[in-house]
Amino acid sequence: MSETHIQIENVNAYYGRTHSLKNISVQIPKKQITAIIGPSGCGKSTLLKCMNRLIDLTDGVTYSGKILIDNEDIFDRKTDIVDIRKKMGLLAQRPIPLPMSIYENIAYGPKIHGLKKKPDLDAIVEKYLKLVGLWEEVKDRLNSPASQLSLGQQQRLCLARGLAVEPEIILCDEPTSALDPVSSQYIEQQLLKLKNDYTIVIVTHNIHQAMRLADYVIHLYLGEVVEHGLSNDVFENPKEERTRAYINGTFSTELKIDSESDLKGQLCPFNFVYAKQALHNLEDGKILKLIVDDPIAVTEVPRGMEADGHKVLIVKQINKTDWEIVIQK
Amino acid sequence: MLAATVFACLLFFLMLVGLYIRASPILSIVPITDLLFSSVWGPSDGKFGFLPFIMGTLWVTGLATIIAVPISLLSSIYLSEYAGNRLRNAVKPLIDLLAGIPSVVYGLWGVLAVVPFIKNTLAPALGVETIGGYGILAGGIVLSIMVFPIIISVTGEVLRSVSQDMREVSLSLGATKWQTIKHVVLRKARPGIFAAIVLGFSRAFGETMAVLMVVGNVAKVPTSVFDPAYPLPALIANTFGEMMSIPLYDSAILLAALMLLIVVLIFNILARMVLIKIERGVI
Repeated sequence: MSETHIQIENVNAYYGRTHSLKNISVQIPKKQITAIIGPSGCGKSTLLKCMNRLIDLTDGVTYSGKILIDNEDIFDRKTDIVDIRKKMGLLAQRPIPLPMSIYENIAYGPKIHGLKKKPDLDAIVEKYLKLVGLWEEVKDRLNSPASQLSLGQQQRLCLARGLAVEPEIILCDEPTSALDPVSSQYIEQQLLKLKNDYTIVIVTHNIHQAMRLADYVIHLYLGEVVEHGLSNDVFENPKEERTRAYINGTFSTELKIDSESDLKGQLCPFNFVYAKQALHNLEDGKILKLIVDDPIAVTEVPRGMEADGHKVLIVKQINKTDWEIVIQK
Repeated sequence: MLAATVFACLLFFLMLVGLYIRASPILSIVPITDLLFSSVWGPSDGKFGFLPFIMGTLWVTGLATIIAVPISLLSSIYLSEYAGNRLRNAVKPLIDLLAGIPSVVYGLWGVLAVVPFIKNTLAPALGVETIGGYGILAGGIVLSIMVFPIIISVTGEVLRSVSQDMREVSLSLGATKWQTIKHVVLRKARPGIFAAIVLGFSRAFGETMAVLMVVGNVAKVPTSVFDPAYPLPALIANTFGEMMSIPLYDSAILLAALMLLIVVLIFNILARMVLIKIERGVI
């Protein structure tokens, strides 16, 4: 494992009397993607909120332990929390544009940190909008309200806004759960690019996403760390039975594919018709793997199959253009 | 039940139509511009210039708003952003209580506390003449206190409707709490705060009893806050039923009532429209 960036030592957190984080001790590696996985209510988001101390905003929360970032304990009351937060960008569950224009959303952070000159701000806005691939889409309407963008665009804007304060760490709290597959895909690609320069912590309940992105995985269950380690180890050979159960619950690692159908180059609705035919030829319980490259099919085929009473096991992108859909009859 | 509801809804329009019919004699004789912009009030000579009363209303209401807005905004921001739950829960009923006090009690308090204070302390200190402390300043102070609860509670609702996520975003970018409030929360809440002020303003506009008791009631266009004034509601309350033998007098008074009704109606509709939009998440 590479150099540690965030060192979490014996962190406990309580909501009133509920013990929601129990003695958490893990290290988060520098310039890698660390995924925190686990079922809803396991304390993933709480742990993330401890890292930038947004947890302070919740009434009735107490916490103890240490979180060291660059050897500075952020739980220490003497630490300047504003400084700490500046080091960490946050990407929330759904995009939350500030009530101002696209331009001002990006310029907000740099401005409050003292940057006043318009040319400097202009340069920052352009730089970070380009970084998240939004510049071409919005450069002619920088002064229109950010809320007019699509959800996917808003989330990229939020990412750019976080990056504009030049953080070292990016914290993501299920950053794609409100987005359509194509936008989610885009955000994931951004994160993979950004890990060269930033330490990224992503909370997700989507195992596939964790597999696609993470270098390092922390599995939380009921407020405890069940297992943590390199992504490959944890996913392919979990030491803990609970981790194995959690992974298998949403994703079978060893699916026996009974039939495969390549529908690349087919458009809707033909790919759907072909998929139905292929499935028709199978016995109940058998598994069919489809490869598609039409973005509409990625959402519509699984939806249609589920409507027909089949079970969709996996929908995942396997390369730049192609998606894999695995269906059980 | 339906009939009762229809009756209740119709009341407003009946009132509007009734006032208009009774006010129409004066509207058909004296041009509307004279009514609104002449400052000569001599009913026995047939002179009906409402300017002193309109200006009196605007002065008192304006002053009350100027005093009330900063104080109630700051306390509202404090209550919703800084104060703990216990303090907030303790203070809220107190503020709501202010709204329930009969206005004649405010008036008495004005006569017993505010008027003497202006007469004995403030006016001598500033070297200005007053007529016994009665005037726009006393009216404005009393009225501003009556407007507090409206602005504080509506602004509080509006601030609470700004989502916590929005604050988290700003804080996570390294903004301080005050920067977050100033640049994000207040910005998001701006239309709602505007509505709160307009609602307060419309209450102040029509308030009668308390103002009438402290404002001096002299039918002259005021030139300073120490001058006495004669707002429209005070005119109506003081003179309706008296001197009805003077031709057109009752028609003039009813016209004053009509003006008040329309202005307050417009304010209310404006404010409600903004608030409804906020509730629906349009703004």
